[in-house]
Amino acid sequence: MSVLLDISHIDMEFPTPRGNFTALRDVDLKIQQGEFVSLIGHSGCGKSTVLNVVAGLYQATRGGVILNGREVTEPGPERAVVFQNHSLLPWLTAYENVELAVRQVFGKSKSKAEMRAWIEHNLALVHMSHAMHKRPGEISGGMKQRVGIARALAMQPQVLLMDEPFGALDALTRAHMQDSLMEIQAELRNTIIMITHDVDEAVLLSDRIVMMTNGPAATIGEILSVELERPRDRLALADNPQYNQYRAQVLKFLHERHSKPDVPVKKKAAPASAHATPAWTSGHTAKAVGDAA
Amino acid sequence: MNWKMPFKKIFAPLVAAAGISCASAQVVALGYPEKEELTFGFIKLTDMAPIAIAYEKGYFEEEGLYVTIEAQANWKVLLDGVIDGRLDGAHMLAGQPIAATMGFGTKAEIITPFSMDLNGNGITVSNAIWEQMKPNIPKQPDGKPVHPIKADALKPVVEKYKADGKPFNMGMVFPVSTHNYELRYWLAAGGIHPGFYAPHKGDISGQIDADALLSVTPPPQMPATLEAGTIYGYCVGEPWNQQAVFKDIGVPVVTDYEIWKDNPEKVFGITKEFAEKYPNTTVRITRALIRAAMWLDANNNANRPEAVKILSQSNYVGADYEVIANSMTGTFEYEKGDKREVPDFNVFFRYNATYPYYSDAIWYLTQMRRWGQISDDKSDDWYKELAAKVYRPDIYQAAARSLVADKLASADQFPDFASEDGFRDPQTHFIDGIVYDGHKPNEYIDKFTIGLKSGQKL
Amino acid sequence: MNTTAAQLSNFFKVRIPQLDSRVVVTVLRQLALPLLGMLAFLFLWSATAQNIDTSLGKFPGPSAVIEQFDALYSEHQRSREKERAFYQRQQERNAERVAADPAYQPKIRAYTGKETFIDQISTSLVTVMCGFLLAVVIAVPLGIAIGLSKSLNSAINPIVQIFKPVSPLAWLPLVTMVVSALYTSPEPLIAKSFLNSLITVTLCCLWPMVINTAVGVAGIDQDLVNVSKVLRLSALRHVRRIVLPASVPMIFTGMRLSLGVAWMVLIAAEMLAQNPGLGKFVWDEFQNGSSDSLARIMAAVLVIGFIGFLLDRGMLMLQRLVSWDKAVS
Repeated sequence: MSVLLDISHIDMEFPTPRGNFTALRDVDLKIQQGEFVSLIGHSGCGKSTVLNVVAGLYQATRGGVILNGREVTEPGPERAVVFQNHSLLPWLTAYENVELAVRQVFGKSKSKAEMRAWIEHNLALVHMSHAMHKRPGEISGGMKQRVGIARALAMQPQVLLMDEPFGALDALTRAHMQDSLMEIQAELRNTIIMITHDVDEAVLLSDRIVMMTNGPAATIGEILSVELERPRDRLALADNPQYNQYRAQVLKFLHERHSKPDVPVKKKAAPASAHATPAWTSGHTAKAVGDAA
Repeated sequence: MNWKMPFKKIFAPLVAAAGISCASAQVVALGYPEKEELTFGFIKLTDMAPIAIAYEKGYFEEEGLYVTIEAQANWKVLLDGVIDGRLDGAHMLAGQPIAATMGFGTKAEIITPFSMDLNGNGITVSNAIWEQMKPNIPKQPDGKPVHPIKADALKPVVEKYKADGKPFNMGMVFPVSTHNYELRYWLAAGGIHPGFYAPHKGDISGQIDADALLSVTPPPQMPATLEAGTIYGYCVGEPWNQQAVFKDIGVPVVTDYEIWKDNPEKVFGITKEFAEKYPNTTVRITRALIRAAMWLDANNNANRPEAVKILSQSNYVGADYEVIANSMTGTFEYEKGDKREVPDFNVFFRYNATYPYYSDAIWYLTQMRRWGQISDDKSDDWYKELAAKVYRPDIYQAAARSLVADKLASADQFPDFASEDGFRDPQTHFIDGIVYDGHKPNEYIDKFTIGLKSGQKL
Repeated sequence: MNTTAAQLSNFFKVRIPQLDSRVVVTVLRQLALPLLGMLAFLFLWSATAQNIDTSLGKFPGPSAVIEQFDALYSEHQRSREKERAFYQRQQERNAERVAADPAYQPKIRAYTGKETFIDQISTSLVTVMCGFLLAVVIAVPLGIAIGLSKSLNSAINPIVQIFKPVSPLAWLPLVTMVVSALYTSPEPLIAKSFLNSLITVTLCCLWPMVINTAVGVAGIDQDLVNVSKVLRLSALRHVRRIVLPASVPMIFTGMRLSLGVAWMVLIAAEMLAQNPGLGKFVWDEFQNGSSDSLARIMAAVLVIGFIGFLLDRGMLMLQRLVSWDKAVS
């Protein structure tokens, strides 16, 4: 398979009142068409920053991102993002939220009826047909996230970027969502980059797990290829020694990083509340620094 | 009725009477009004009655005029309204068209074809001042004070305030209002200096050399201002003197009838431009107002109670019936309970009250000169020319003649237009006995003890 | 019959126990207490009114005010009759003139009589609504612009802060002069007094809306902005589809504040500009100084308060209707 996305030696620095803060140093990663890659690392290691650079919401200080041979300079629907907080427009119904995206992307190429069918198809894909005329305020967190995924999928992105998409969900809902995601992935063969905290989730879903070192100047520590047969079944895998080995490997990396952090936690430049408001929710550099730290 | 009368009917009797003057030619030509929808302004005073009556009795409508009548906040707003065209015409202080044409205050050419009334003002002092004045006033056998009360009785009070270093403040309604000149006349006749104006020096407060300090208060606010103690007395039209008695906050000491018997009071002012642009409308307005004035004075004031009822409506004067009735029906209440007959307190038609005499305009000009509002000497001719510019008996005559022709009035109700030169006979009934002859303004000014005389400039 | 009676008794048996203390308390709180408050107020009012002597007689108590409401209403009816007669006379006159002068184009002129209290209420409502809508048209786009651009915010914020506390009484003379200077049509369609009041209302109620809109826009969830970026919405679509709906709750909060300000300002503006609304009514009655004046002014005060309350409720309902954020109170 060919390289679809080339994250090429990116450095990310944020200006602060006390000089530049280096969040990322020399992050270099090539992702194949149809590949599912997870980014895992401790909170504040800069994984969200990587995703935001790929999304085009941030501009890398050095290096760059090349998608399909073209450099990424701004956000766009070919790199759809599923935000942690669903980010649905609260005044629109599920259908209308997806419609906004579909109109924007396919407004010129599809007829009204086609668009309608496409919106309904995507909502059906995430099992939201029954509630598509409800507003976000009227549905559960899991359902909102499904709509968020439907919206991203409906854009037919070349890369789907998911920023801890299930982080805010309870364990049971999360498991459902993961299964749904695997189903969709099996069907559509999307290229996906997903940020996660959850080791099981990473192993279960990914083709490769990219483990980030702690910041500042975070970079890629190790990359683990997960060569488990698809479709994967979470119950069957529980007893699979290979699965457990992958799991252990990731845990070991994280544990080592945790016990030997590159930088003492207390010396962070950013406010302690940084975790409560993840960097990607804000375009302001000050907050981004907090997360990256 | 007459406006819709076919031309022939109006024409026939007029042809007989025509040819005497050019004014009658205008009557012949009196056609439909050029402007039919009009807005007139007024200040809440009983002497706005001719406008209210012309409306309520349908005289305006009979002329084909559809008039809206609007109360105005104060005299300045009213004058500005007429100048900027928001109002087509208004109930004005006699001095306003004169001062505006002359350029004292806002400069604009305002004319008047119709004087609205004679008399109707009074001077009221607060209860406290009245108590101090009372010992200085001679008593009648029945114990009531002898009228007219002269300002001599007030003089010791003013002097006491002056000695105590307290300013003696009084209110009048506008710098060029009748009330200002009447109050000044009364004070000066009693030896109290009311102060000079010096517009050429930028001083328009009118308080130079003053014993009593006069300032402007809108008529309807006079009683409240007196009650608040901001002023000790005021000169204003009705019903605001009677209101003070009614509210028990002050005592009217003198009426302008006593200061100058049958003095001209308000006029109906329009811009010169309006009169030129809408000649038929102007004559028709004048006709309606003359008819209203006639109605007000008809049968020895028989219609006055009805007029008072109309005026007490909140959209006109709005004061209580009793308050307005006090003066409008021929009586005037001085001290509470001291109600006296003053049958001519408000005169709307008799004594040729509505005719715009040049001599009336000139009297106001003499007072403006006396108190420095006109800072330099002017020739007698200047006075006459200015008066003729503002006062327009020609329009009045056209209206009166057409009323006579329509049999809505008889010729003997008006001055003899053939011989009328616009000057009343020398006026003798002033409180200080000084005679006024409108032909000789400069000579008149020199007769006063207090005031600027020929050749004087501040 | 028997069955019905049985059903009824059954019904009551079930119902009566349900009238438990909680229901009673709720009824008491929502109905009886406000009523009690009202009664206490009326009592206090009439008791104090009797002890306040003004130069226009005693301060009006509730009964005097009710009497004036009645008088005002019958005045209104009388005026309507006069109006009918006016039009009748006019038609007759027009017909006669056409007969005498066939070239004449008959024209119906509006009734020239005095506005009644009820007319004045509607004038006030029309004026406040026009002034308010004009303010909305200016303030919402301005607020959005300020909210979107930090530099614009820095540039305009001081001006907003300075003009916000200015009293309508200070604006009015300026407005009057400017309107007189610029609006010089000889046959004005719109009365200047109306324009003056309207513009003064606009000037005073602009600011809360500008500020609230700007705060609402600046405070949009960054996620939603990112969604817009990823979708590459054009600037116009971004404003229309994201910014505007997202700030609707704040815009409406500002609008409600502004409408309250507008109504308060209007009364003062009408007094001075002589716009024939409630403000002029109060002023005229004050000037009249008749023995009924105070009771009439008090009647106007009650009406002004009640309309202000209704406007606020109306705005709230509108806000609930159009806003996605149902947590509005």
